[in-house]
Amino acid sequence: MTKMLDDYALMSPLRYTNNWLKIGLVLFGILMGVSSGSPAVPFLIALCMGTATVVISKMPLKQYLKILSGPASFVILSVIVIAFFFGGGQELFGFNVLSYHLGVNVEGLEMAFLVFSRTLGGMTCLFFLALTTPMVELFAVLKKSKLPDSFIEISMMMYRYIFVFLEVALSIKYAQTVRLGYKDLRTSLNSLAMLASTLFLRSWEQGEKIFISMNARCYDGKMAFYEETRPLRAPETILALFYVVVVVFVWYITNGTGWMR
Amino acid sequence: MHISEGFLPGPWWWIWFAISIPVIFFGMYRMNKLISERRELLPLLAVAGAFIFVLSSLKLPSVTGSCSHPTGTGMAAILFGPAITAVLGTIVLLYQALFLAHGGFTTLGANVASMGIIGPVVAYVIYKAGMKANINFYVVVFLATAFADWATYVVTSIQLALAFPAEAGGAMASFQLFAGIFAMTQVPLAIMEGALTALVFKYIVQVKSDALVELKVITSETAEKLRGVVA
Repeated sequence: MTKMLDDYALMSPLRYTNNWLKIGLVLFGILMGVSSGSPAVPFLIALCMGTATVVISKMPLKQYLKILSGPASFVILSVIVIAFFFGGGQELFGFNVLSYHLGVNVEGLEMAFLVFSRTLGGMTCLFFLALTTPMVELFAVLKKSKLPDSFIEISMMMYRYIFVFLEVALSIKYAQTVRLGYKDLRTSLNSLAMLASTLFLRSWEQGEKIFISMNARCYDGKMAFYEETRPLRAPETILALFYVVVVVFVWYITNGTGWMR
Repeated sequence: MHISEGFLPGPWWWIWFAISIPVIFFGMYRMNKLISERRELLPLLAVAGAFIFVLSSLKLPSVTGSCSHPTGTGMAAILFGPAITAVLGTIVLLYQALFLAHGGFTTLGANVASMGIIGPVVAYVIYKAGMKANINFYVVVFLATAFADWATYVVTSIQLALAFPAEAGGAMASFQLFAGIFAMTQVPLAIMEGALTALVFKYIVQVKSDALVELKVITSETAEKLRGVVA
């Protein structure tokens, strides 16, 4: 909770590369990974994106692995369920629990492996975007979309206030912790409720204050931001193109003979 | 209960997008209308969204040992109604995917359907019905939030079951499985979040009940009564 992905993105050397290139690569990777019928493509994507994040974007490897293992509990539980109960074919191993037979068979294991690889591929793509592109840059992209202004305004203001409230929440939490506010379940529930209600009232008051202060500065429903242009440079374009070609090639040979299959 | 990026295959992730997007657009339409009438609501909605985000990133004291986070959407639904919660929830889920690595882009549709739409609708229906039946406000809040959490987790299990039907028994059998396995963490979690939200409302009523009256969560008479009971 103390360190978010956005913090790394602000320090990333890839921060100043073209936003559209990064978003395009990430969407390409995610879609290719999800639509692939063989685990090879998602693993390749995971490898490329992971390397790009750690080597080019200089993300500390240890922290990166820690972030990757975040959703692990959900993924591992679900993958185990799929391995045991999905598909038919030859049974690899099995055992009896309380007169109930549990077994893993070939198709189930293959499916579980595929789902695992897709999740890994998707997550590395997502992290590549999250760890190289600060939200501030993404707002420029969001503004180009046809979404209603109020939606974009709210997301921008929300982004700003997330950090304000996180700081408030953290300092309250420290203060409560040193006063033994989290010593057991009962007190921690009580402390957390106090924290959340204070936070709510703070944010309520803050909301009223922002309106007054923004009105005083001629707010007309549209915040204007300075947008820097980020030109595409030759090396990164070539690298990206190379990556796309390799992934498409592997997709082509692992997913049968033709496009229209 | 976020479904991770890349977990839902083929047609399923875009089916859930197809279900969520109309609701989000309806929510945006409602929100636009509200804001054009009362412009001072825009910053308020923004801070409300930030509040949901921060709330959902706090760790709940856990019973089973694994750390768990409240969804916060049940509370938002009671405060702002389900249509606006759907929009705020979508932004929050997007930020959670980008900042905290919870959820993802392709599974955003499915996650919005379970956490941003169905959970809040359940919370709102229970809250409205409970208030009409004149049950104690805090009990209603507890029930609404707890059931919203359970609805969220049941929907997530359905989503997983439809995408991965079991060989014997089809989607129904795998639904029972996913639901059964996630019940271990989700049932106590929902009770915790219900209790937490009820307590939060108790503190808010004590400190500043006008905020709730202004949002039309409770009438001023109920607020008076609740404060009287406390004092």
